[in-house]
Amino acid sequence: MSEFYNGIAEILEVDESAINAGFDLHAGEAAWDSLAVVSVIALVDDCFNVMLNGQALTQCATVGDIEALVEAAKKA
Amino acid sequence: MVTTTKIVDIADYIPEGKLSNADLEILYPAWPAEKIFEKTGIRSRGIAGPDETAGDLAYAAATKLFDKGLVKPADVDFVILCTQAPDHVLPTTACILQDRLGIPTSAGALDVNLGCSGYVYGLSLAKGLIETGAARCILLLTADTYSKYIHPLDKSVRTLFGDGATATALTADDNGHGAIGPFVFGTDGSGAKHLIVPAGGFRRPIDETSGQEEKDASDNVRSANHLYMNGAEVMAFTLREVPRAMDALLSKAQLSVDDIDYFVLHQANRFMLDSLRKKLKIPVDRMPVFLEDVGNTVSSTIPLTLHSMLEQGRLTTTKRLMLIGFGVGLSWSACILTLQGNQK
Repeated sequence: MSEFYNGIAEILEVDESAINAGFDLHAGEAAWDSLAVVSVIALVDDCFNVMLNGQALTQCATVGDIEALVEAAKKA
Repeated sequence: MVTTTKIVDIADYIPEGKLSNADLEILYPAWPAEKIFEKTGIRSRGIAGPDETAGDLAYAAATKLFDKGLVKPADVDFVILCTQAPDHVLPTTACILQDRLGIPTSAGALDVNLGCSGYVYGLSLAKGLIETGAARCILLLTADTYSKYIHPLDKSVRTLFGDGATATALTADDNGHGAIGPFVFGTDGSGAKHLIVPAGGFRRPIDETSGQEEKDASDNVRSANHLYMNGAEVMAFTLREVPRAMDALLSKAQLSVDDIDYFVLHQANRFMLDSLRKKLKIPVDRMPVFLEDVGNTVSSTIPLTLHSMLEQGRLTTTKRLMLIGFGVGLSWSACILTLQGNQK
């Protein structure tokens, strides 16, 4: 399990084995709200050393969408 | 003889009104009290009464400082008050405090409108006044009542901010022992909109439309008369600028991380402090946290933390500290503070 998936599982309050690219961000125990978005910004900065845009993150539907933002930010 | 600037004493004042996580849980059922504590590191916040202003909180902190006996009102020849909730649009709240506190009319007084970066800016002004010989004894006050700007149903900010005040006495030190500085500063006004009370100044006066309440995507309610914080943008700004400020200051002071005994950061909330500590690679015992019973008190967080360290006896021997303030503006600043340990 990657550090990133582990962190996502903690933020969404679900078991880390449930996390994969297709995981629905709104399916967790915790809401995909402003606090979760702030938490993911810090997590992504820690894991990948890139800064994501809060608005773009808010619009993500799955973990894969976040990973796509990370990939785009790495190339930017 | 080199004149430097030293902190003589610090006092605090937290208003008697309290807002606990249990109170908040009733308003925000999705956020149990324990979850609020886990995320923020805060259990309770001081809340000023309806008739209690930032000027009143600053007055109470200054009175406690004078009661401790190391500095008298008659010694003070300059008052600096950092607040974003002044008693009046005009006159300057610091002028009113000169009179209320019995400080001589020969003293200077001014307000500084800054938030979480304000204490470090205040120290830089105090140092400038003292080391140019313009003043000998500065009363540096921080006081804010953000609770008056916060909508009761906006959990994004109501869980974080508490009201409070501090008073710091600074004097010239002709022995050159205690020292404040060097400093680094930073400003990014392009981020002003991310932490703002949109209405109430002259850019947007308060009227019927400014009071219109709206619910955001996370179910928080506010109007343009209330405090708004874009948490994501503020987090991104902090993680970007604070490490840069720390590196710039270490290089300016020709010091390394290991030369600093304590890193006293603006106490925004536990989550942000933990993220910063990880990124800055600072050991947990060298980054004090003082939040649990007071919340984020804006410009008072750094002096409140220093005050608690003094009370705990963590500063009895000579210590070199790095102070870093960051927030609304967007504005940031950092300095080195060497405390001689002869302070209580």
